[in-house]
Amino acid sequence: MKTLSLYQPGRSIIHKIDPVTKLLFIILAIFVPIIIGTWGAALLTLLISLSFILIGRVFKKVLPILGFSSIIILSVIIIQGLFYVNNKAPLFTLGPVTVYREGFYYALNIALRIYNILVAVSILVLTTKPSDLIEALVRKGFSPRIGYIFSSVLQIIPQMMSTVDTISDAQRSRGLETEGRLSARIKAFFPLIGPVVMNSLISTRERAMALEVRAFNSKRKKTFLHEEVKTGYSRFLQFILLAILLAAIVWRVLS
Amino acid sequence: MTKKSRWSFNFSTASLVLIPAAVGINYIGKFFAGALKLPLWLDSIGTVLASMLAGPVIGALSGAINNIIYGLTADPISLVYAITSVAIGITVGILAYKGWMDSWPKALFSGIIVALVSAVVSTPLNIKFWGGQTGNFWGDSVFAFLIANKYPVLIASFVDEILVDIPDKIATILVSYAIFRGLPNKLTLVYKNESEIEKL
Repeated sequence: MKTLSLYQPGRSIIHKIDPVTKLLFIILAIFVPIIIGTWGAALLTLLISLSFILIGRVFKKVLPILGFSSIIILSVIIIQGLFYVNNKAPLFTLGPVTVYREGFYYALNIALRIYNILVAVSILVLTTKPSDLIEALVRKGFSPRIGYIFSSVLQIIPQMMSTVDTISDAQRSRGLETEGRLSARIKAFFPLIGPVVMNSLISTRERAMALEVRAFNSKRKKTFLHEEVKTGYSRFLQFILLAILLAAIVWRVLS
Repeated sequence: MTKKSRWSFNFSTASLVLIPAAVGINYIGKFFAGALKLPLWLDSIGTVLASMLAGPVIGALSGAINNIIYGLTADPISLVYAITSVAIGITVGILAYKGWMDSWPKALFSGIIVALVSAVVSTPLNIKFWGGQTGNFWGDSVFAFLIANKYPVLIASFVDEILVDIPDKIATILVSYAIFRGLPNKLTLVYKNESEIEKL
């Protein structure tokens, strides 16, 4: 069944690392640069994350994720470079506008932080099957009901999108205008979204009954369909990551 | 039959399956707004409907899960804005419980409240992560104008966000209210706490 996910199947060593370790890495990649607070730390973290992306052979897939935010980052660089409050020293002048050093560096700092988050999360998203991630979290003590909600969302959205196609076709064949003036497009929003929403809300009732019949609310301990795959080095990796986090905190406190 | 407190919610199977549907509706709303090239996001209709149907807790959960899923499938930064979605879910849930969602003028007023809450919660996040910008062209133009005239970043960023949120959240609440009115009773009753008849 089709699901909504950016997961790229592969056999790299990054793919084999368990999801919880990758989650821990995300936390580290976001907080260690903030704790240490230097350019070097942020840049180094970004380079490490990027090298994991390269090892996982998913570099091409990370580009659209970065592209999404790059337009905003560009506008941040322009606006802060021109108007940042502490702007004093001119960096360069293009015709009538002067870009200032302070604002430019401030914006670069923002860009670095954003790219750090994007790339670190991408490692998890691109190299982990969503169902594996959910299963790993449920094993760690996450509520199985929340786990069900997550996997259900990933299936329900493609289903709803196919309903969207059907309803769009049906409404267009009745002569609904979906292009042209803004008022026409606003009017078209209701006949399009209304039926999809009604459909999905009404089917929640049936889904609930179907789950009830299968003893979804049973209080017994849930078992898993798949055996847990234990990798020997995941404990070791998690230990190293935690050690780095501690070292960063100690470094910050001492210096 | 006594009416239970607004914070009580039965974590029943029915409210549980409402959450994925709400996240799906958010997604569809965003998709149609994009497809029809509307100048709004309309990406929290599902969260609002879930809050109206099943209360603030389920609404907040829908909001959080919506941003987590969106963060893991499209734009990781939206994970951060899960806090805003949770705030929207809670606000709508309380407003609906207090009866501020049962006529068009009241829904309009609720839309303004939700926009304010959303802007207050989002502004610190915008400042922390984007230096104060929202990524919306019109909002950011005003932001640039304000900081160029030496207004504090906090004010510039709040104005940027509220300019985008006011039309978007009002439209979202009105659309949700229109849909909510059209829902059959047999569906809305499932989520009512005081109903003893249907229990799922």
